[in-house]
Amino acid sequence: MRAEIPSEAAIRDWCAEYLARALDLPAHTIDVATTFARMGLDSANSVFLIVELEDWLGLELTPDLLFEHPTICELAHHLAERASR
Amino acid sequence: MSKTTAYFAPPAESAKKSEFSSFVDVLRRCAAEQPDDPAYIFLPDRGGQRLSLTFAELYARAEAVAMRLAEQAKIGDRAVLLFGPGLDFIVAFFACLLAGVIAVPMMVPRRVSSSDASAAVLADCVPRFAMTRRDLLTITRPDLTERFQTNRLDWVFVDTCAVGSVERQNPLPLAGRDDIAFLQYTSGSTSTPKGVVVKHGNLIENSEMIRITFGNTRRSTHVSWVPLYHDMGLILNALQSLYVGALCVIMTPVGFMQRPLSWLRAIHDYRAEVAGGPNFSFDLCVRRHRSEELQGIDLSCWKVAVNGAEHVRANTIERFASTFAPYGFDAKTILPAYGMAEATLLISANRRGTGANTRKVDRDALQRNQIVASAPEQDPLVLVGCGRQLSGERLAIVDPETRTPLGPALVGEVWVAGPHIAAGYWRNAEATSSVFRARMVSGGGQCWLRTGDLGFLDEDGELYIAGRIKDLIIIRGINHYPQDIEETVQNCHAALRRHCGAVFSVPDQEDEEQLVVVQEVERSFRRGIATDEIAATIREAIAREHELATREVVLIRTGSLPKTTSGKVQRQLTRQMFLTGALLPV
Repeated sequence: MRAEIPSEAAIRDWCAEYLARALDLPAHTIDVATTFARMGLDSANSVFLIVELEDWLGLELTPDLLFEHPTICELAHHLAERASR
Repeated sequence: MSKTTAYFAPPAESAKKSEFSSFVDVLRRCAAEQPDDPAYIFLPDRGGQRLSLTFAELYARAEAVAMRLAEQAKIGDRAVLLFGPGLDFIVAFFACLLAGVIAVPMMVPRRVSSSDASAAVLADCVPRFAMTRRDLLTITRPDLTERFQTNRLDWVFVDTCAVGSVERQNPLPLAGRDDIAFLQYTSGSTSTPKGVVVKHGNLIENSEMIRITFGNTRRSTHVSWVPLYHDMGLILNALQSLYVGALCVIMTPVGFMQRPLSWLRAIHDYRAEVAGGPNFSFDLCVRRHRSEELQGIDLSCWKVAVNGAEHVRANTIERFASTFAPYGFDAKTILPAYGMAEATLLISANRRGTGANTRKVDRDALQRNQIVASAPEQDPLVLVGCGRQLSGERLAIVDPETRTPLGPALVGEVWVAGPHIAAGYWRNAEATSSVFRARMVSGGGQCWLRTGDLGFLDEDGELYIAGRIKDLIIIRGINHYPQDIEETVQNCHAALRRHCGAVFSVPDQEDEEQLVVVQEVERSFRRGIATDEIAATIREAIAREHELATREVVLIRTGSLPKTTSGKVQRQLTRQMFLTGALLPV
């Protein structure tokens, strides 16, 4: 069992940092309200993001999640809710 | 004999003349001799149902669908195959072969892309049928009906053709070696796709070459996650296993990307001998390696780990071998391979158990197309050998300008001849003649396939690939044509000048190819343009249309892109300028 459930803000920051690294973009250009599509995230990188989130949060996720929650903000909100259930 | 013969790699022993006259014969033999052996098993992602087909079941189902096709089909009609992961693709493929219909494997077009290759492929091959599953068309992707709205195209649902439901009215045609089995659309740009015409004879011959090289037998279980519309997934896995009467376990590409270790687990579970993929798949396994997920895994059964379809990296092989050695993985299992659809698939590979050979070469000499061993104090370029010519095949290294063969240690274009070389491009005489009918300056009537790749043969006849004449970009085993991506870029924003952009790939710090876009901006937009905004628009368009992430976008001044005197974009020079910082950004 997880000792501590990450907050929505923590998930948001984690995603922004991860994507800056994965897409090799300067951290300040990652806007949490920008769509993943606009960041140029392709399907392979989408899968890798999902896998890392699964590992970290201990949740079972599918890549479709990035279509249903297309920004870092929306994704973090959704994940924080699921993680706290 | 011309004098030049000495420069070719020594001829390998000739292939055993295969007893099959078509791939239909292969299926019939399996169904007759080993009807109850499992032919294919499909492992779905989490929670799905495991599916399987014996050889007899495959034959019965394919025959039922073939009967349905034969009601309307003329011999030589085309059928596009549109399937998600599963076993229906294989049923449809063999149904086409049985009915004398030419199969055209296709990736299911993505929902979000507006202009993808599918429309141009349909226009090129003019299919009579589109084959799929009923639920894909009616539930998952109803948009496909409109996309495939062409004249006289009939949908055939392979899951609704019950075995024994159709009266056998006319006998199915008998295919021969000279009949076309399928068209492989992996060549040509999105706007002008080229379908490689693969005949039954080509398929039999290349399957036999693969069998000999990899030493496959009935016991050579394959485990594959490579999609079946990809030539590596189809020919090297799903058709090779059937050719030798072995089982092929099929996994989903997304499942592999998400959980690459599940591939290794399946190899262990099924005691598989053969499993391979593009170079990145080996990297992915290393990156996702977690010892706690591999408890009890024994990979000593794995004998042939083909690494092909994209540039093979020496450090990938080393890392993979050392990471998985504790699980019984033998480094000699990794067999780098070279091939392309124009040669049906495989062109060169080492034999089972040989492992990979590497050479350290001098970078400067390579720029001059010469191979010189690097001095110890230098930073060498490590090239991985892709094996020797196959049984029954001829490989030559040729100066592409003078069309004369080159000796060992000289870099030239790789030319190939043999019975596996496809007949040409579908209804494209011009491209067929320039690519498939190359002749050496003094080579008599012998026709060669020009691969467009640069390489050399070492003194043992091993082929090393050292570069590319064509500007093709290969990322994760998928071919991308720069002109397609450049067009996407130039269409996505008014500030971007037409025909004044170049895209290419460069290796990142982990040696994986990454896409770079260099694009001129219109003069009138130069003042005060929002470069970040335009770069984001470009990234979005490329991800949407080409499924690619862009590593860097460089917007440059009007008129500063290097071009030839005839106005052709010089992509290689642009790439050099990018790497040396010589571009002029706005």
